[in-house]
Amino acid sequence: MAVKAITTYDFPSRSRQELYGDDQLVHVWFKDNPWFCAAACFRAPKAMTWGDFWSQLVIPFAEEDPDFDPAAARAWSLHGDAIAPRDDQTLEELGVVHKDVLATVLA
Amino acid sequence: MTIAPKAPRKLSMKQRYQALTRDLDWEPSYVSREEMFPYLEFEGIKIHDWSKWEDPFRLTVDAYCKYQAEKDKRLYAVLDGFAQGQGHLSLTDANYLNAMKIFLQGIAPNEYNAHRNFAYLARHLGGPGPRFAALCQSIDEMRHTQTEVHTLSNYNKYYSGFHNFSQQHDRVWYLSVPKSFFEDALSAGPFEFLIAIGFSFEYLLTNLLFVPFMSGASFNGDLPTMTFGFSAQSDESRHMTLGLEAIKFLLEQDEANVPIVQAWIDKWFWRGYRVTGLVAQMLDYMLPRKVMSWKEAFELYFEQQMMQGLFQDLAFYGITPPRHVEDAIGEKDVLSHQVYWILYQFSHAASFTTSVPNDEHLEWLSKTYPDTFDTYYKPLWDKEKRNIEAGGRHFVRGLPQLCQVCQIPMGFTEPGDPTTICQRESEYNGEKFQTCSNGCQWIFEREPEKYVQAWLPVHQIYQGNCGGPTLPDVLEWYGLQDGDNGEYVGSVDERNWKKWHAETDVNEPEGSDATTNTTA
Repeated sequence: MAVKAITTYDFPSRSRQELYGDDQLVHVWFKDNPWFCAAACFRAPKAMTWGDFWSQLVIPFAEEDPDFDPAAARAWSLHGDAIAPRDDQTLEELGVVHKDVLATVLA
Repeated sequence: MTIAPKAPRKLSMKQRYQALTRDLDWEPSYVSREEMFPYLEFEGIKIHDWSKWEDPFRLTVDAYCKYQAEKDKRLYAVLDGFAQGQGHLSLTDANYLNAMKIFLQGIAPNEYNAHRNFAYLARHLGGPGPRFAALCQSIDEMRHTQTEVHTLSNYNKYYSGFHNFSQQHDRVWYLSVPKSFFEDALSAGPFEFLIAIGFSFEYLLTNLLFVPFMSGASFNGDLPTMTFGFSAQSDESRHMTLGLEAIKFLLEQDEANVPIVQAWIDKWFWRGYRVTGLVAQMLDYMLPRKVMSWKEAFELYFEQQMMQGLFQDLAFYGITPPRHVEDAIGEKDVLSHQVYWILYQFSHAASFTTSVPNDEHLEWLSKTYPDTFDTYYKPLWDKEKRNIEAGGRHFVRGLPQLCQVCQIPMGFTEPGDPTTICQRESEYNGEKFQTCSNGCQWIFEREPEKYVQAWLPVHQIYQGNCGGPTLPDVLEWYGLQDGDNGEYVGSVDERNWKKWHAETDVNEPEGSDATTNTTA
């Protein structure tokens, strides 16, 4: 059902992709690690490679866990399907869109 | 013989009330009723006879002012005595005040919002009885804002975190939770507001939202806040009566109102319940001397009083317990731990401090939550203790994913599975929106046009609207000063507290470590 309002009720999303230019928001969810109380939210260029995304954004965040091992083998999923990102693939090539959730567990 | 005319008889309280409300009412003659009250129809609520509203209390302006003046006199006498006698030194601990910081930042500004919207109802409801009741509540809410600010202002002279509550309410991430809750209600129609705030907030959840703070105050030596609580209590009981009368009136006026009211109860129960997450962690983690656990409070004030009491009565009208209530009941063993774990990790960006629970506290948590604490949460604190010994202290180095509806970082778990974070996703106009629970997702999908406008603090920071790209930029924009945030152990407040209590003569604390504020 729709909002009941006194007049036309139509407002843009306050977090639509265009507000971030060539970037987008990407969530990373360490599903098996309760040390991180919630998934992380990053702002990343769509053309950023997976290698850069991992080393420049995710590792500095995840290192806050003293047990975090950046070299550990990991399984990833996107939209419920398993993915195997290569370092040279961009987020866009991986099919990551604005506000997607990338989930990971130790393999 | 002439007989002197009788002196005019004094009106009884009831007659004066009648004169004040009904006799001052009039039917418009040069505008239509619809023009005079333009907001009464768009929500779909049908009212056939406003005179059927039974005033839950009869109060005249002079009687109202007399009662409130007496209560204020008592409150301000206590505040003066407490300030002059350096009463703050007899609190259980300086870290108790973290609970009051959250109260001042999160609740007091919403009392003011309640004042605003009840003033609007006092103008726009269609009957003189409910209009006057709304007027009284509007004045109450204004008075609550003022007395809360005055009550807590004394602490602002000695402790961090109190000096900038109003600006912080508008800007800081965790305060967007109570703020967006209330603004959701403010931007609804008059009848939805009555159910959202008058009924759900003031009746259904009031004992979970309000009473724990006041009990916490009384258990921890905070006489001013306790006195404020007593002072507000008689108002609150009027508000509860008004909320109950409002829902009964709507349900009795037309059967078609029942499904509309039910949907509002479903929505506002969950909206309000999510805000009580802040209360849950306060009860279980922030009070040096415990009152009762969140679980106990929830069982007593919600499961017993509301599920077994109120909803049995409302069943007569065809109203059922709120949708998703089972999810809330299922969370009572995990809620406080999850919320405090979030606040602990992000308190570097908050206007209060947190700390690892000490051994005695951990033991209490284990005993109070035998089914969950040792299994799921104690291991985290054990790891954090090792972390601290190794020279770390866990603050998140980044920003969390937020729920689009309640705006809390998405740290809640799946119903029945405390190990898996609950992620719900909806799509609207080609854009993805995540929510933290079945309840928040249902609310989003019912009115997506509304929630796509949410001012999510994390997204606003990434859009560059919060002072700048770095953490110090954002903290400055939040109006935080050194000592407001972070770890309690070693904080300005703890250092001062220890110094004041080490002094043989503690009558006059002086020379505190940080600049204190005199702005309140």
